[in-house]
Amino acid sequence: MNTKQHPDTGPSFASTLRLAAAGGRTDHVRITLTTIGSAVAAVMLLTAVSVGFITDNDGPYRLNLLAEPGLRPGVMTAILLLTVPLVVFVGLCSRVGAPARDRRLSMFRMAGATPADTTRIVALETGLAATIGAIVGAGVFLIGRTLLDGTQLANYRIVYADGSTGNEQGQTHLLPVDVTIPLWAIAATIAIIAIGATVASIVALRKVRISPFAVTRTVPTNPPTRTAAILFLGGTTGLLVVGASAARFDGQLAPLVALSFVLFVCCVVGLIMGSASVASATGRFLAPRVSRPDLLIAARRMIAAPFTSSRGSASVLLVALIGGAIQGTRANFLAYTDPGDTFYADTFALIDSVLIIAIALAAASLLVTSAESIVERRRTLAVLAAGGTPRTVLARAAIAEVLVPLIPAVLLASTAGLLASQAFFGTTVSGFDETTNRQTITPIHIPWDRLIILNAGITATALAITSISLIFLARSTRPTELRAAA
Amino acid sequence: MNQVLPVPSESATPGLDTGPNGSVALSALSIVYSYGRNPALRGVSVELRHGEILAVTGPSGSGKSTLMLCLAGILVPDVGDVSFGGRIISAESEAERSKLRRSQFGVLFQFGQLVPELTAAENVALPLLLAGIKRGAALSAASTWLERFCVADLAGSRPPEMSGGQAQRVAAARAMVTEPTVLFADEPTGALDALSGEHLMTQIVRVAREAGTSVVIITHDAKIAAYAEREIVVRDGMIENGTGV
Repeated sequence: MNTKQHPDTGPSFASTLRLAAAGGRTDHVRITLTTIGSAVAAVMLLTAVSVGFITDNDGPYRLNLLAEPGLRPGVMTAILLLTVPLVVFVGLCSRVGAPARDRRLSMFRMAGATPADTTRIVALETGLAATIGAIVGAGVFLIGRTLLDGTQLANYRIVYADGSTGNEQGQTHLLPVDVTIPLWAIAATIAIIAIGATVASIVALRKVRISPFAVTRTVPTNPPTRTAAILFLGGTTGLLVVGASAARFDGQLAPLVALSFVLFVCCVVGLIMGSASVASATGRFLAPRVSRPDLLIAARRMIAAPFTSSRGSASVLLVALIGGAIQGTRANFLAYTDPGDTFYADTFALIDSVLIIAIALAAASLLVTSAESIVERRRTLAVLAAGGTPRTVLARAAIAEVLVPLIPAVLLASTAGLLASQAFFGTTVSGFDETTNRQTITPIHIPWDRLIILNAGITATALAITSISLIFLARSTRPTELRAAA
Repeated sequence: MNQVLPVPSESATPGLDTGPNGSVALSALSIVYSYGRNPALRGVSVELRHGEILAVTGPSGSGKSTLMLCLAGILVPDVGDVSFGGRIISAESEAERSKLRRSQFGVLFQFGQLVPELTAAENVALPLLLAGIKRGAALSAASTWLERFCVADLAGSRPPEMSGGQAQRVAAARAMVTEPTVLFADEPTGALDALSGEHLMTQIVRVAREAGTSVVIITHDAKIAAYAEREIVVRDGMIENGTGV
């Protein structure tokens, strides 16, 4: 067919769609993970939205956190924060098998596709998967609401008009399934997920240059140590100072919260950037010293690609920071509360349950980065195995690459979160001793025991989830990989 | 190098009788191997003598690489035995075969075999570190082998900083660092230009002769096959020119 007789309008939507769907097994895994992640994100975001739309006509709810209107923004924030590791997970899923996809796109370029065409193919693949996932998630959410829509006679907490609280009995819902969510809010949630995922996939391509002959990927090897340290130390110190001088804000909560949020973000960004520095520094320390081949391989990987592990550990560190802050806040709230009132104890027990889910979700990111790192190097690993390198050595190297830089960063993050929250909410409780007729000041103990449990839990989860990636190691070291092109 | 390092020697491996030069080092008897329903080897028998350089040639897809993978204990034949030093290695576990490959065999592929993050010296030292040799001694031995392959100046370089020919020489040094009884080279010059290929082959042959190592070269290039003392041609999973014994 003579194409000169036709105006060149670029590939049609249908053609682009066909090219986007033309991938192999890993491409299907990537698309499936993106769809599932988007569906779960839709369920979580719509749950947060439904909490936001609770009115006086809705409820009552057995869940105390929903019963008190003042706590609902906190619940929404907690759900949104829980969505962060999930979003990071979806973002990382979009990289599964990306090198192979990029090579395929390079072949498309060879066949005449423009750089814009290749970007469109990637955006369409992710956008479509995320849209389908978000629609499915919204469907699951709405069906789930219907299935859970039932009441039962129970006691519930009520906040009276004068601000006092009490307990009443009546027909109650467990969750806000009776709340009317406007259609536009559901549509907006789906759109946010679809657009967000599409933009993220385009942004992810910014360091990849796909030419007709090759795919060039820019891999930063020098993590910004100084900036990371300044942000982390500045953020943590700032939170401590704000906490210590909170009384001077004289009840003006808005600037206090805004400043704290900015400092918290600085802390998180510094920590995430810093985790790459920790990986690089640990690698530089170990590489010239170790005799163990697994540690040598892991250390050299940490130097050559410090951001590989930090990408996966970012959400783990975020959860560690928040987890530490929760433990500090818990100690503070319980110190102020009458031991007979279990409201805060129950509330924090619920938050701890959410924290466990967040840890598992965050650690899932490690699985993706670790699996990606193994699959990307499968030919080298297959050759090493063929040469007699035991798979256990390669497995230990893969695990060490993730855990060695992660453990100190998690310790740092959780401790910073704990101390910052203690500084913020105070370190003493003032009271009045009627027997001596004197004011008392009781120090609030720092919950080191809970911090140890948190760190041990995160490390154990990270180890367990990273170990799952070793399934890919067994596949990647098969002799058939020796026959595959590098 | 044996004087400097406690590199596992032939006699150090229990059950091995590797014998003097000229005796059989490795043999395969009527081996059959299939990839799913596609037969790659259909009853191949081969013998390799100590110190011998054997070329296995044949067109693409003839089964020559599969034969090498079976001989090296990387693949286990569906039918037939592969023996080395009195052991039937095809009947051994993956762990035992891995240990054997690490100490007695060297493998050299066409490309993508060096760990990209390790320096050339560390790549060469890796098999020694796996054998439990201390870092300093392993790196010292690695530098000797890099020198023998004329790439000593690359000791601190990483594979992405090397040319294809340089990386292949480093890989050859790694394959030889344990002074293996048999070196398997699968299209070792496949990714190199003619001149670099010839240089590499000359070095491999020289070093193997010095060390008394037998070499199995898989190639479709007649010029490379000419470096061998004996050539067998594989076609459609069978040996075309005689029995291979």
